[in-house]
Amino acid sequence: MRRALTASAAIALITGVAMWFVTIAGAQGGGTIEADVKYNGAPQVEKLKVNKDTEKCGTEAVIEKVVVGSGKGLANAVVSVPGAKGASKAKAVIDQHGCKFTPHVVVMQPGEIEIKNSDDILHNIHTYSTANPSINKAQPKFKKTMTEKLDKPEFVKVTCDVHSWMLGWVAVVPGPAGVTDNNGVAKIENVPAGKQKIEVWHETLGKQEKDVEVKAGQVTKVSFEMKGK
Amino acid sequence: MAFAQGDANAGKGVYERKCLLCHGEKGDGNGPGAEQLAPRPRDFTKGLYKVRATANKTPTDQDVFNVITHGMPGTSMPAWDVLPDRERWNLVAYLKTFAPEPFKEAPKKLELPKEVASSEASIKRGKEMFEAIECHKCHGTEGRADGPSRAELKDEWGHPIPPANLAKRWTFRGGASRTDIATRIANGVLGTPMPAFLDSVEKPEDVWHLTNYILSLGPERPAYATLITVASVTDAIPDDPGGELWKKIAPQYVPLMGQVIVDPRNFNPAVDMVAIRAAYNEREVAFHLTWDDPTESKGDGKQTFPDAISLQFPPQVTGGTERPYFLMGDANDAVYLLRWEQGKGVGEASANGPAKLVPLTGAEAAGKAVFSNGQYRLVMKRPLVATGEARPTFRPAVFTPVAFQAWDGGAGESGPKMSLTSWYYLRLEEPQSNRRFIIPPVVAILTLAAMILVVRTANRAR
Repeated sequence: MRRALTASAAIALITGVAMWFVTIAGAQGGGTIEADVKYNGAPQVEKLKVNKDTEKCGTEAVIEKVVVGSGKGLANAVVSVPGAKGASKAKAVIDQHGCKFTPHVVVMQPGEIEIKNSDDILHNIHTYSTANPSINKAQPKFKKTMTEKLDKPEFVKVTCDVHSWMLGWVAVVPGPAGVTDNNGVAKIENVPAGKQKIEVWHETLGKQEKDVEVKAGQVTKVSFEMKGK
Repeated sequence: MAFAQGDANAGKGVYERKCLLCHGEKGDGNGPGAEQLAPRPRDFTKGLYKVRATANKTPTDQDVFNVITHGMPGTSMPAWDVLPDRERWNLVAYLKTFAPEPFKEAPKKLELPKEVASSEASIKRGKEMFEAIECHKCHGTEGRADGPSRAELKDEWGHPIPPANLAKRWTFRGGASRTDIATRIANGVLGTPMPAFLDSVEKPEDVWHLTNYILSLGPERPAYATLITVASVTDAIPDDPGGELWKKIAPQYVPLMGQVIVDPRNFNPAVDMVAIRAAYNEREVAFHLTWDDPTESKGDGKQTFPDAISLQFPPQVTGGTERPYFLMGDANDAVYLLRWEQGKGVGEASANGPAKLVPLTGAEAAGKAVFSNGQYRLVMKRPLVATGEARPTFRPAVFTPVAFQAWDGGAGESGPKMSLTSWYYLRLEEPQSNRRFIIPPVVAILTLAAMILVVRTANRAR
């Protein structure tokens, strides 16, 4: 009993100290950017009748080219700070599940990406990349994961020829980045303080840039209004 | 490799004379002739080459040289082996100038797994792997390019591209040798939906098992018939294309071409070959036709039409050399058609040109079609002796003109947009009567009797 108490006290202490350090580091190193991306147009969604693998893919495929949520928030837009350091080092993962790429847009640092196939049917990873070598590799049901390299910054379109409606994007960006949620909001933490260029990219609506002043330990709000092409 | 370092400047001249009309001045695949071709001519400006034996995206000079030399089977790209070697190497050098960037990376040789010779066990394993990695999604269950993803496939340029018909390997773009096929499986085909499978089979040698299986799906190339023989049989002839009789008769292959004489022309015909088996008995003549068609189409009347096929004969068989115009007759001379159409079945018609078909009444024809895994099998039959002026009577040992026409309605073919042949001849085998089994023994017995008679008479006279 006493030993357990000591252990939990130690853990609490360590956690507390660690959190304090993180807070200090955050306050010193940078701030948070909260980007709010809006789109005034209509959503663009194509629907397609599925003629195969319906037990995995369902009977109707939805191709989401522009997803607009509540308050005209634009989902699936990539907000990045390409000139800054300090991006997350977590390994990027894209999954093929229900004959959809999930998430629809993946953000990654130049490096490796893990490609999963959770569907138990054949998919093929076909990238339309130009800066990086294009990939077209089969991923049969027994090959659950593959690792591929994307070394150069680029927005890479990913498709599957077996299921032509499948569409995903891998945003290879050098700096901290995030993807907007269904409200059109993306939070990027650990952005170095100072003047930063913020870039927004959307698969259908293109790119926009803005300069903002990031203050250490504070949330800087920035909003974008995307225009139809 | 004597001229492996071609001269790009010299190659430019050859290119402009021989290649520009299809591939375009800028090498972007947009020459004046490009619109008529399917698949379209290669766009060299991306540096993407379908056929390569390298592990990276860059083909070797030899890869490009080989395509120029051998052409691309099943496409409009002819073999340029008529050009001297040096000119072909110069062309290789010139083609590379359209996309210098991709060629900066040195080609890396593709290492194929250790070769596995073909055997029953290997073919069986290949079939298992074919199913496990779902080749059928595009290529179809029996490899006839009829998979469910067929209609969705697009190439790098967004143009529709059909999967290869694995049962017709003489049309494989990159050649049909064992190494060619194994390389395509391992490497994929750049710029097309065909992905690389080298790291996506269970064991590396499965690439060879798959190769052996694909080689088992069809002949190396068909031996095309020149004269079509109609077998003489005594039994009843089955309507069912799967009937026992049809298994005993060898197929005779006939190549078909696109109709390009009258509008609308068909530069890219879908049906390129028909296999015919034919038989007759004392009452009727029957034709068994087999052809590949990736889609069983009844037609929506706008973009797709009913699939159809017809056998064409002169209305009267004279045995002479005068025949109606091969393209379904003309205003002066009609032809007789024994035809089948999806949804309508077997029927007869008289035609005075491709747009002037008149169905013949008084149904004398019958038959049955079966569609399975990208292939039609059809039996059409009718009485040997015809009634009326519009239908021919079939007689043994007479050279009877015949021509073929086929429509893949799913590919938008109808009316003059068809594939066809010029006139062929067919010949009904002379009936093999029982007399050859009866007369020789009778003669032998009679001779023996006569000899005995002579011997006896001689003995008695003594």
